[in-house]
Amino acid sequence: MDKVATVDPTDLQQEALSAAAEARTLAALNEVRIHYLGRSSALKLALRNVRDRETGMTLNAVRETVEAALTAREEELARAELEERLVTERVDVTLPAQLLGPPKLRPRGTLHPSTLVRRDVEDIFLGLGYEIVDGREVETTRYNFDALGFPDWHPARSPRASLFLDDHTVLRTETSPAQIHKMEERRPPIYMVSIGRVYRRDTIDATHFPIFHQFEGLAIDEGITLADLKGTLLHVMRELYGPDREMRFRTHYFPFTEPSMEPDVSCFNCGGAGCPICKHSGWIEMGGSGVVDPYLYEFVGWGPEEYTGFAFGMGIERTAQLRYGIAGIRPFWENDLRFLRQFR
Amino acid sequence: MRIPLSWLREYVRVDATTQEIAEALSVSTAEVNGVHRAGVTGELGLFRVGHVLEATKHPDADRLQLTSVDVGEDRPYSIVCGAWNFGAGAKVAVALPGATLPNGLVLERRKLRGELSEGMILAEDELDLGTDHTGIIVLDDALEPGTPLAEVLPLVDEVLDLDPTGNRPDLFAVYGVAREVAALLGGELAPMPGEDPEREGDEPVGIGIEDPEGCLRFIGRVFRDVTMGESPLWLKGRLRNAGVRSISNVVDVTNYVMLALGSPLHAYDLDLLRGGLVARRANEGEKLRTLDGAERTLSVEDLVIADGKRAVGLAGIMGGEETEVSASTKNVLLEAANFEPVGILRSSEHHALRTEGSNRWEKGVDPYVAGQAATYATQLIVELSGARWTGAEDVRANLPKPAVIRLRPERASAVIGLEVPAQEQAEILGRVGFERLQSGFRVPTWRARDVTREVDLIEEVARFKLPEVPFTLPRRQAMFGRLTRPQRLRRLAEDALLGAGYAEVYTPSFVADGDLRLPEPLSAEAAALRTVLYASLLEPARRNADAGEENVALFEVARVYRASGGDLPVERWHLAGIADGGFAEAKWAVEQVYSALGIEPTYERTSEAFLHPGKAARTAEGWLGELHPTVLDGTWSAFELDLDALAEAAPQVAAFEPVSPYPEVRQDLAFVVDEEVSAAELLAAIREAAGELLRELEVFDEYRGEQIGEGKRSLAFRLAFGSPEGTLTDEDVAPVRASIVDALATRFGAVLRA
Ligand SMILES: [Zn+2]
Repeated sequence: MDKVATVDPTDLQQEALSAAAEARTLAALNEVRIHYLGRSSALKLALRNVRDRETGMTLNAVRETVEAALTAREEELARAELEERLVTERVDVTLPAQLLGPPKLRPRGTLHPSTLVRRDVEDIFLGLGYEIVDGREVETTRYNFDALGFPDWHPARSPRASLFLDDHTVLRTETSPAQIHKMEERRPPIYMVSIGRVYRRDTIDATHFPIFHQFEGLAIDEGITLADLKGTLLHVMRELYGPDREMRFRTHYFPFTEPSMEPDVSCFNCGGAGCPICKHSGWIEMGGSGVVDPYLYEFVGWGPEEYTGFAFGMGIERTAQLRYGIAGIRPFWENDLRFLRQFR
Repeated sequence: MRIPLSWLREYVRVDATTQEIAEALSVSTAEVNGVHRAGVTGELGLFRVGHVLEATKHPDADRLQLTSVDVGEDRPYSIVCGAWNFGAGAKVAVALPGATLPNGLVLERRKLRGELSEGMILAEDELDLGTDHTGIIVLDDALEPGTPLAEVLPLVDEVLDLDPTGNRPDLFAVYGVAREVAALLGGELAPMPGEDPEREGDEPVGIGIEDPEGCLRFIGRVFRDVTMGESPLWLKGRLRNAGVRSISNVVDVTNYVMLALGSPLHAYDLDLLRGGLVARRANEGEKLRTLDGAERTLSVEDLVIADGKRAVGLAGIMGGEETEVSASTKNVLLEAANFEPVGILRSSEHHALRTEGSNRWEKGVDPYVAGQAATYATQLIVELSGARWTGAEDVRANLPKPAVIRLRPERASAVIGLEVPAQEQAEILGRVGFERLQSGFRVPTWRARDVTREVDLIEEVARFKLPEVPFTLPRRQAMFGRLTRPQRLRRLAEDALLGAGYAEVYTPSFVADGDLRLPEPLSAEAAALRTVLYASLLEPARRNADAGEENVALFEVARVYRASGGDLPVERWHLAGIADGGFAEAKWAVEQVYSALGIEPTYERTSEAFLHPGKAARTAEGWLGELHPTVLDGTWSAFELDLDALAEAAPQVAAFEPVSPYPEVRQDLAFVVDEEVSAAELLAAIREAAGELLRELEVFDEYRGEQIGEGKRSLAFRLAFGSPEGTLTDEDVAPVRASIVDALATRFGAVLRA
């Protein structure tokens, strides 16, 4: 009894910690645990005989420290034993898969609906003789805003609307910077569609996600007209939504086109009579379009009237929503196989 | 912008229906979100002027009156009413049974404390004309009972919900929209509303502009003996329909004129000001309590209106609380000004304070309209508050001169793709306020910011002709149109993975940490651009497995981003996949991708913290392996390849050689080797030793067993030999085979199995 009562807590703790550190296996560590924290350990006995509060607190602190050290060491050893076991499971990674498994027989996979739309859009424009350009996603503000004629007051220039990496670098808010790069690269004729991810500082909800995909077209040549824009989009919309579609254009404002218009397509669901898809207007809004602002030509060092051109931009997700009847934006990012597997 | 139609039609006389107006505006002017009916819904005929014939106390309720009201029918109606501010003889507003109030309540014939009540005598709040419920509306005595109430009170209006774009500040005003309607539909535009009343005095106001960049114009007007009070019902009705709350006659006038003309105004309690008003930059750290009660710390970036002592308003955004007009106000100083847009935008963003005023200023309000706004507000303040107008000052910085722009009509037709005669172009421009001069068209002041070049004039013409522009295709002189090589190969790689059973996923570009951090992260998990793809696939894989999917194989093709040391990061296309199951799953998928792209990969053992130490390999373009069990519960394998590197490695043109007419000699060879010797090493050695005659080589079996011994395994190879010169015999092949056996024995201690 006396011996136990006079146990020195500091020494005991030191001793237990070294014993834990020296244990080489989980089994050895368990021995250490029994010896220092077990039912008949010196510490437990001492705790049982505590008379004053101070001693009790000291001994409890020791118990907690040792407990923590044991747990930490246990994780370390478990990890080491796992590693050791894994090394023994080693395979010859150079063997063909068929000799390694063989791999599971899986039913054919599926492309994401956005990729299906993307490929269709690409093919339609390839058919019209356009190039497809991916473009970079991190852009300078010079290409993302200045070159595209965004005025100082434009809300997109605010960090509340766009995702900046620093004052001069921004995640592209539309795919059009790729068009400026192309214009700097060579002279017209330019017929291109840039497709890819664009970024906005949006709070995630049923219809918003900070990332979405756009396809934006640009045609610059001698003698291009607003009528050519109307004709080109009519062709594309009929390819995407059916040969009976009609279009109308409404005036709008975009920084890099003048005149600017929003194209509407006659509702493929109700044929114009009005339904929830077209918000009972008979028309579905598709995006933005317009005649290239001569500012862009000056930006890349061409004469303001050597060429004319048109540009337009639309959303991939929106196209997929309309095409497949997908509600909201969440399914596009949830990656639920029950959703994805339907797009065969 | 909500435009009540009755208000709009006050400024433009036009035959068109509301629907026609909405259509025309939406095609040529601005998006129309819809037209809705404000105020009373349902049958309007049930709202009448009533003449109170008798009014007595309800026998069983002290607070109620029993009335008998002539509503223009052949008998009087009995109506129980809770208000006492009228008696017999009064003309009141009555809703009959069946009427629907703006709050949706449908009136019924019913008993109130035992007495029949056939309808309701109305107070302002019941018609949504104000919040006042203290008394019912008492109408003009001259009105005939039975007169439709809609002829007397603003019971109902159609409201156009217009969404003008940022370049059209002139459309944030009913008058501006009226101007468009007149131009589009051939209506007659009334002159701008407002006429100065007689000024009764010439006291100094003390207006100054210290910052002519931020404040282009500052008009101050003084009003004495103002009687503060409620606005008349017509004004309350207009504001309600435009979506603005009625506050008091003076404040309502400033709001009404802003809605009418687009130039915001502010009214100060003159007696609370210390000296005149100047527009100046705020001092760093200067404090201002704004009308919303918030104390704001200002900086030199903020433009303020200040009296002799302190800032009394955040210019163009919100006035100060200390100097606002209140019920006790006797004298008023009215501010009509013009502020520079970008400064207002920055201030309003910085203070997270957006108001009807800032929303207009930040788009650029016509500085010339401030004068008319001051005039109209003066007229209304004098009319509605009985005040005397006693002082006026108009201080101007440099107001921009209206530009004159040349228009070549043939250029306009060429850009539009429709022949529009010069005369018609001039007419269109004239209708929207562009004055034709010898040298071109003078831009109206309300369009000065937006219209600065010939192409802007062309847009003006085009927007009126949009429906007539034909649908044509460009007449092309040159044709191209083909996917680039990396794009074609990307499709091939994707399709190869479909064949292997993988479903494509899209995951966000953001992760918790990476080379490129967002200074303002979207969230803790979306704080940087990703440098690898596979990590983003863990979560969807786990979630699908948790949902009970038994076959989870996912892939993604997307960019990864790494700091380059230069201005912009390096972006590369990556391809990553994850699948339930062991190493063979990843290996199979990667083999499919390489095979689709025509690349012969070399696999080498590798180690990564997130991979199983014995089941991880790398190729020149990426890695594959079984995931370390601590990364994801269960057995999973994954891979990630650099698609740009794959595109570079892929052969441009298939290497072809003529098919030999001579049959091949096939042989199978099995060797026992140490476990450490990889199949790839043996294959390379066989290829080297076999020389030119070897046509095909593959490993087709791996075997371990007692006969072979601990630490050893047997690998079996299938070889095919051939020659373009003739049929090979076993004798021809024997020396080749011998040199293979020899080479493997020497280099790896491999023993040929019998
Ligand atoms: Zn529809």
